[in-house]
Amino acid sequence: MYNRVKKLAKKSAVLGMTGLFALSLTACGSSEDAATTSKESEQEKTEISLYTGGSLNVKEFWQEVIPAFEEEHQNIDVELVFLPAGQGGQSTMDRLIAAKKANKDSEVDIYEGGLADIVVGEEEGLFTELNESNIPNLANVKAENLEGTNGLAVPHRASSVVLAYNSDVVKEVPETPEEMYQWIKDNPGRFAYNDPTTGGSGSSFVLTTIYNQLPPEAMNVQDESIMEDWDKGFDILSELDSYMYREGVYPKKNQGTLDLLANGEVDIIPAWSDMALEQLDKELIPENIKLKQLTPGFTGGPAYMMLADNGEEERTEAAETFLNYVLTPEVQETVVNKMYGYPGIEWEFLDEEMQKNFESVSGDYRIFNGGKLGEEVNKRWQKEIASQ
Amino acid sequence: MSKRKENLLGIAMVMPSFISLLILVIWPVMISIKESFMNGEGQFSFENYIYVFTEPMMLNNIKHTVVVTLISCIIVLFISYFIAIYLRFTSSKIANFIRKTYFIPMFVPGIIAIYGFINTYRDNGWIARLIGQENLPVLMYDIKGVVMMNMWFNIPFTTMLLVSALSAIPDSVIESAKDVGATKLKIFWKFIFPLSYKTMLVATTFLFMGIVGSFTAPFLVDSNAPQMLGVSMQQHFSVYHEFGQASSIAVIMFIMSAGIGYLYIHSMMKEEK
Repeated sequence: MYNRVKKLAKKSAVLGMTGLFALSLTACGSSEDAATTSKESEQEKTEISLYTGGSLNVKEFWQEVIPAFEEEHQNIDVELVFLPAGQGGQSTMDRLIAAKKANKDSEVDIYEGGLADIVVGEEEGLFTELNESNIPNLANVKAENLEGTNGLAVPHRASSVVLAYNSDVVKEVPETPEEMYQWIKDNPGRFAYNDPTTGGSGSSFVLTTIYNQLPPEAMNVQDESIMEDWDKGFDILSELDSYMYREGVYPKKNQGTLDLLANGEVDIIPAWSDMALEQLDKELIPENIKLKQLTPGFTGGPAYMMLADNGEEERTEAAETFLNYVLTPEVQETVVNKMYGYPGIEWEFLDEEMQKNFESVSGDYRIFNGGKLGEEVNKRWQKEIASQ
Repeated sequence: MSKRKENLLGIAMVMPSFISLLILVIWPVMISIKESFMNGEGQFSFENYIYVFTEPMMLNNIKHTVVVTLISCIIVLFISYFIAIYLRFTSSKIANFIRKTYFIPMFVPGIIAIYGFINTYRDNGWIARLIGQENLPVLMYDIKGVVMMNMWFNIPFTTMLLVSALSAIPDSVIESAKDVGATKLKIFWKFIFPLSYKTMLVATTFLFMGIVGSFTAPFLVDSNAPQMLGVSMQQHFSVYHEFGQASSIAVIMFIMSAGIGYLYIHSMMKEEK
């Protein structure tokens, strides 16, 4: 009896094993089939990669735009390569340059960067020329944003630094930088800008204070000789120091000053328009916070998209399709609604309602194009102003 | 197993940790030492060190780092030792409660603790609202805030070390001392302190190294200038893009820690003899 059971168990085990083996074989076959078919359909697809970086809102923006684009263009696959702020935005440029020198494919198709990247790209011949024949929607782009791109980039969105103020307290909002400096002196301890080495809004305050004392075209000078002319601006900054929040405390990061404003510890700060608008919308800062641009304004500027010149025609064409798509009103509305950025195309192509939300910050910003001089400003600020 | 085989096995078992140490720690350290001796053109030079030791801003930063570290170490050690002694020789309900809860700060992520601190102690934060803003000393963007933050981060672990050292002192020693009429103070100086002094050295080493290289708390809570070296190093690296100068600051921090490490090892070896 016992033996029979044992035999049966053995038999069934063998049977079971064979069955399993057979099953797994067929499973293998079918999965192989699936792999080949999907490969075939992938071969028709053109894969392009988009290299970008910055804050989280940039990533969220692309994560919304790319699927919508792929839906519309089934034959194109866009891969997003996102490098968070301060973690090697430079490396993408280095990669492009290295690939160009070695005459190799950089595998970067589209690169989102700043004005300085265009200057480098032009010197090294990294980017494909863009015009209305390959990017038809370029015709709708704001003309002033195209300045300085030399036909190598698409300015698809922008943001700028503005004044953010507590409207319950500040009744007469400064209109010009001079009025702002006067306000700071009249209201000691009620103004703060963040440590310029830690965020763009404080950096913009420092830069505009220095360059307001110089002729307008000085903002484009990249020669170090201009550093001697900064003295007047630094004198103002050092004079203002004792009128700042707690007689010269500069919080870290753009969020640091926004927190002070939200908590009512100060009444006016410089802030990024997109950051402030987004937080107002999400009610992270109270409603009584209002925004305003000065004349002449703080610095700001567009973000640009460049097309890397890889010599791969198929991918270049796909990338052009993508750039054109980014300039459509639908995507531009996403720029306004999700990123709280300035659209790249003229307002007339967009909803009027949207424009109203932007009225408060619609003044003109200026573009600082001093390249590496920005670092020098920060160094001097740390030595002279922070240690006061 | 022969002696030789045993030796080989021992080496093989140490290898994984040694290799990961080599790749993850020693190699990067070598690179930054090399980089600290290079100027902008990649040639050998002392200019980064000349900059760090002559620039008034950097000298102030070094001084500030030493001051913050020493003050924090002393306060943390003092408080931790006090708590440890209390926990060792008391078994009241309060002591039991403290025994169960004192290490909770170790489980709170650093950045959350710092934001909690900021919201509690900033000029119109929780405390200021309770006791009035004018009664609250300036803590935010100030050295006092950094020291308080260091206390939060370091007291639990230091206390843990000291509690285990003190519980290793047998009750019999203390009781027999009491029997022959030693005062409490005498027991402390003659028995408790000498028997826990070694652990205090270990704790000091950990404290010093942790605080000298700290970044997040000084970055968010400290004043704009002078800065602690960790903050200054990050600034030189990712804001100014002065990699050589950043490396030389890193090397200086490394030497400071190594110095304390040496003192610790030296005293250990002396005791073994």
